[in-house]
Amino acid sequence: MARIELRHLRKTFGGSIEAVKGLNLVIEEGEFLVLVGPSGCGKTTTLRMIAGFEEPTSGEIWINGRMVNDVEPGQRNLGMVFQNLALFPHKTVAENIEFGLRMHKVERETRRRRVLEVAAMVKITHLLDKLPGQCSGGEAQRVALARTLVTEPSAFLLDEPLSNLDAKLRRETRAEIDRLHQTVAKTFIYVTHDQEEAMTLADRIVVMRDGRLEQVGTPLDIYNNPISVFVADFFGSPSMNLIPGSIASTRNGPCFQGPGLTLDLPPAWALMASASATLGLRPEHLTVQPTGGAFQAEVRLVEPLGKDTLLYFDHGGDKPLIAVVEGTRVFETGACLGLTFDPQRLYLFDAEGKRLR
Amino acid sequence: MRRQTKRKLYAVFRFTMLGLWFLIVAFPMYWIIATSFKPAHEWFAWPPVYWSRTPTLENYRIVWTGQASSSTTRETASLQKPWIALGNSLVISLTATTLSVAFGTLLAYGVSRYRLLSEARMFNLLMFRMIPPIVVAIPLTLYYSTLHLLDTVVGLVIVYTITTLPYAVWMTKSFVDEVPREMEQAAEILGASRWRTVWEVIFPLVRSGVLATFLFILILTWSEYLMALILSKTDVVTLPIQLSKFEGTTEGRVYGRQAALAVGITFPLIIVGCLIRKHLVRGFSFGMVKR
Repeated sequence: MARIELRHLRKTFGGSIEAVKGLNLVIEEGEFLVLVGPSGCGKTTTLRMIAGFEEPTSGEIWINGRMVNDVEPGQRNLGMVFQNLALFPHKTVAENIEFGLRMHKVERETRRRRVLEVAAMVKITHLLDKLPGQCSGGEAQRVALARTLVTEPSAFLLDEPLSNLDAKLRRETRAEIDRLHQTVAKTFIYVTHDQEEAMTLADRIVVMRDGRLEQVGTPLDIYNNPISVFVADFFGSPSMNLIPGSIASTRNGPCFQGPGLTLDLPPAWALMASASATLGLRPEHLTVQPTGGAFQAEVRLVEPLGKDTLLYFDHGGDKPLIAVVEGTRVFETGACLGLTFDPQRLYLFDAEGKRLR
Repeated sequence: MRRQTKRKLYAVFRFTMLGLWFLIVAFPMYWIIATSFKPAHEWFAWPPVYWSRTPTLENYRIVWTGQASSSTTRETASLQKPWIALGNSLVISLTATTLSVAFGTLLAYGVSRYRLLSEARMFNLLMFRMIPPIVVAIPLTLYYSTLHLLDTVVGLVIVYTITTLPYAVWMTKSFVDEVPREMEQAAEILGASRWRTVWEVIFPLVRSGVLATFLFILILTWSEYLMALILSKTDVVTLPIQLSKFEGTTEGRVYGRQAALAVGITFPLIIVGCLIRKHLVRGFSFGMVKR
């Protein structure tokens, strides 16, 4: 197991493009850490620096109390699964898995035994004599995992390993990776741009944005207490309703004024009166009723998903307001419905996107 | 006109053009082969003899054994050294091609992975090849005479290796470029050294391309004429030079023998081509390696 520590890690490309801007992070032993963020946020660069493929411009990487900045990738005792898997196409599955052991000069008998063990672990024993090109996407995925597992690295680095799979296979393999993490009980660092993968797999999520840490926390923590509009918008599907507007104090207490929308806020919010603010409301926290409610809006689009139905409301703003209702309820476009919400579940962000409440 | 008719007409047109082109390309080859089997009186016959009614192996026998039969006269025996020329050609072109492809592949790897040369430099490398050989040949003669490389096997090997190196680099680089970097990094993080990675991962993946390059350069060096003509005189004669020597004998032009030798020169290339045909097809249609 490995404890990995990043200290003031920076990486610039070509002198001007700063991909990672001073990262400080401790990854605990046995932890499943997910680096998540939109493309270009520096998550893959960070992973590649940990692996040793990129040299940090400044800062330090420590693995188990040893500074590894000058240690070659092969000497760091890490395993990596690449986005395109990078299986050797001219070697059989068995030879692919055996490769790392051969490089470490492990005896033939031990190699054979280990390959069989690992193959059984990820259920690919029947594929050992095939070439990677003859395996399906999911099978190739398992081969890549087996090749990494066999050398018993102290930590696993996974760079968007599921991005080439279809939705169903992705869910299955995701569960597989989760199970694997529990079995081997090693440190996993997983890079993805998919918030759902991050939520389901992570012990801890690191949200990255423009080369910086935006927020670090457990999945539920990040979901329930996003520190910024960016994080709030990134997590959740469908994503949070974000309404730009302002907070004003009236005789009846504070209220939020958005485009075509005025909402009364709890009295405690009066202190936050400001010219511009963004109100956040998760679609599942909006309750739809035939009449009344805190405000009314017209249904513009009905999107049945089976279990749930998404309703897109026109409230006068640029973006529609989305609400999630049970799939059994039937709605028609054009209907004017009442909407209510629990004020305790409102989010409020300032002009810079920082969370106020 | 209906679309289907149009399409059919176009196909007919296309195949007619291809057929004509094939005739233009294939006719000289056919003519050489046909001539090589003709007895002497048919070489210049008018109307031309397209396929001899009395085919003979005489031309081959004379060319490859160096013995003139009783009916033909006084071809300068000293000029007839086809086996020596064949040996020279084999040694020179195989050595030069091997060296060129070996250096070229390593250089291509360096250029592809470490950016050893910028794009502009890579282009310059190819430009170097566009200099007319004759411009290089004359000064080279001076150097070679000082270095005692004139008329030697080593001399020709050196010049062939250097002049074909740009092709080798350019061709193999495109194959190395196709191998995803992650493939190497996967090997690296599994503990493989740089050389081990090149040998076990890169080379097997570009082997087809390297073979295609090898054959291409082999053809270039095998059939090179100008440099061989200028840098060698009598001691080291290659097949193309030998072929030209059939022209100025006392008997005039001996087309039949020349044709017989020409067939002998082309034959090895055809055999090699057939042997590695599978690799050639893969080599020239690379891109299937990526999963």
